[in-house]
Amino acid sequence: MKNWFWLAVSLLATSAQAQVSISKNFVKKSIVVTSFTGGANVSDVMKNDLRLSGSFDIKPAGESAEYLVQGSADAAGVKCFVTQLATKASVLARAYQSAGNPRTTAHSIADDIVQAVTGQRGIAQTKIAFIYSPKRGVKELAVMDYDGFNVRVLTHDEKISGHPRWSPDGRKIVYTSYWKNFPDVLEADLTTNQRRVLANFPGVNSGADYSPDGQTIALTLSKAGNPALYTMNAGGGGLRRLTNAKGAESSPTWSPDGQTIAYVSDDRGSPQIYTISRSGGEPTRLTVSPSYNTEPAWSHPPAGSEMKPTVAVTSRVGGGFQVGVYDPGTQAVTPKAADGDCTDPTWAPDGHHLVFGKLRGYRSRLYLLDVRTNEQLELPVMDGESSEPAWGPWR
Amino acid sequence: MRNRFTAQVVALTLIASFSLTGCSWWHNHFGPKTAPNQTKSTQPGQLGTGPGTGPGSTDLQPGERPELTGVQDRSQFAAQTVYFDYDSAKIKPGEHSKLDAVAAALNGNNKKLIIEGHTDERGTAEYNRALGEKRAQSAREALVSLGLAADRLTTVSYGKDRPVEPLHAETAWSKNRRAEFVVVGQ
Repeated sequence: MKNWFWLAVSLLATSAQAQVSISKNFVKKSIVVTSFTGGANVSDVMKNDLRLSGSFDIKPAGESAEYLVQGSADAAGVKCFVTQLATKASVLARAYQSAGNPRTTAHSIADDIVQAVTGQRGIAQTKIAFIYSPKRGVKELAVMDYDGFNVRVLTHDEKISGHPRWSPDGRKIVYTSYWKNFPDVLEADLTTNQRRVLANFPGVNSGADYSPDGQTIALTLSKAGNPALYTMNAGGGGLRRLTNAKGAESSPTWSPDGQTIAYVSDDRGSPQIYTISRSGGEPTRLTVSPSYNTEPAWSHPPAGSEMKPTVAVTSRVGGGFQVGVYDPGTQAVTPKAADGDCTDPTWAPDGHHLVFGKLRGYRSRLYLLDVRTNEQLELPVMDGESSEPAWGPWR
Repeated sequence: MRNRFTAQVVALTLIASFSLTGCSWWHNHFGPKTAPNQTKSTQPGQLGTGPGTGPGSTDLQPGERPELTGVQDRSQFAAQTVYFDYDSAKIKPGEHSKLDAVAAALNGNNKKLIIEGHTDERGTAEYNRALGEKRAQSAREALVSLGLAADRLTTVSYGKDRPVEPLHAETAWSKNRRAEFVVVGQ
């Protein structure tokens, strides 16, 4: 009886265009990963990638499973074989040349396994930009592999940095910097290691986000009074004011088709999420409850994915902060992480993973969450604090 | 219900295994650090080296913010720091006398003023950056209405990044929700 009820609810939900991102029918594939002969350092990292993918129920060696992963490594490189045990079919059989770093090879193998078994592109080769605070009063721009390893602290300004966002080609990061003791928007070019100023108007310059085609940047400026949304050309110039409400606007995020921007406005008192066309005009209110929602992040799942574009937010509920996803059907927010102060969600390019910040003992750490299962994992702990993550694109 | 329990066990096991693996990272220095305000460059220069080094790149967005040269003094108006309620940028009735005092002191000269806006630590960095700016602008509007020329008054928001009190309680939070006045002298 219960199964029929849930089926009816999910059908009703689908027909009402309630684009809830939990895939109610999601089932993990069971898999056994044996340590690669001569290459346990690679298979260990790869196995961790399969865990983080959220798509696998990893069984101990010897137990029955749908898939078996085996491999070996030598000076020439790494070989990986994935077999579907019921049919004995080879699902993947590939040789990989040695990369400088075994983690690189492992991530490549993991993505191939995810693709071969689930038909979906994996995230094991993606990066996350974030804000790293080695000590109070200092916040630097940093980049790491999505699994928390290979952290590179990119700036050494000993000032405050904030709000990094990637260009769609993954070559640049816009972010907020107090390099001159005022909040400015800078663009860092990761291939040339150069930075340039995008906006240093009077007041606050912050919240910059690239459009999906990389041609336009939306940002928050208070040069004309209350903080408001503007757009500008990614190459510089072309500044245009978008919002004109009495309240303050901030934190723009672009829709996947680049036509709409979601953002925060406190026009009605406490902050809520609104949308506006990229060419301006009348805003539309998204969130109604809970009473405080900020930091919208619009997912851009790949074409053909079962995941729908979804807006994640940071809500304040009962004095604490939660990460949730907006439900257009109810105009409410479904909480996804509420165990501690959880803030600043960022979407993986697969549209079903989030990384967010969580305060534990008033120290901020980054956590990974799969919205299909709500499973959370803390990313490896560094000294200091990590916050404001931004997931980089597939390259 | 069973799936949720299993998920929690899986999550806890994974967290435990992560704590044991530690992490490997390297610190990628791109060059020596330069002290702040040492150069007059308009470009932030190379990542990791501070302003003023590396091959020049075009400044495509000339800044409009006026250069504020001169000694900065935050002691003159230390007693006039304006405090705010949670989530609010409104000047409370009891705070107006402080703004009167600042305006009166600055009426006789043409020193500039930096108005800093700050928040307590709760909430996101970005939202607090906007809220801090609103607080600084509230104080600025009040000073303008008291007769100070707007072009003498520069706002800067520090969001939640510069608390005066580090404790995680309202006794500290109430002191951190503030606008501070910094005089820029000749």
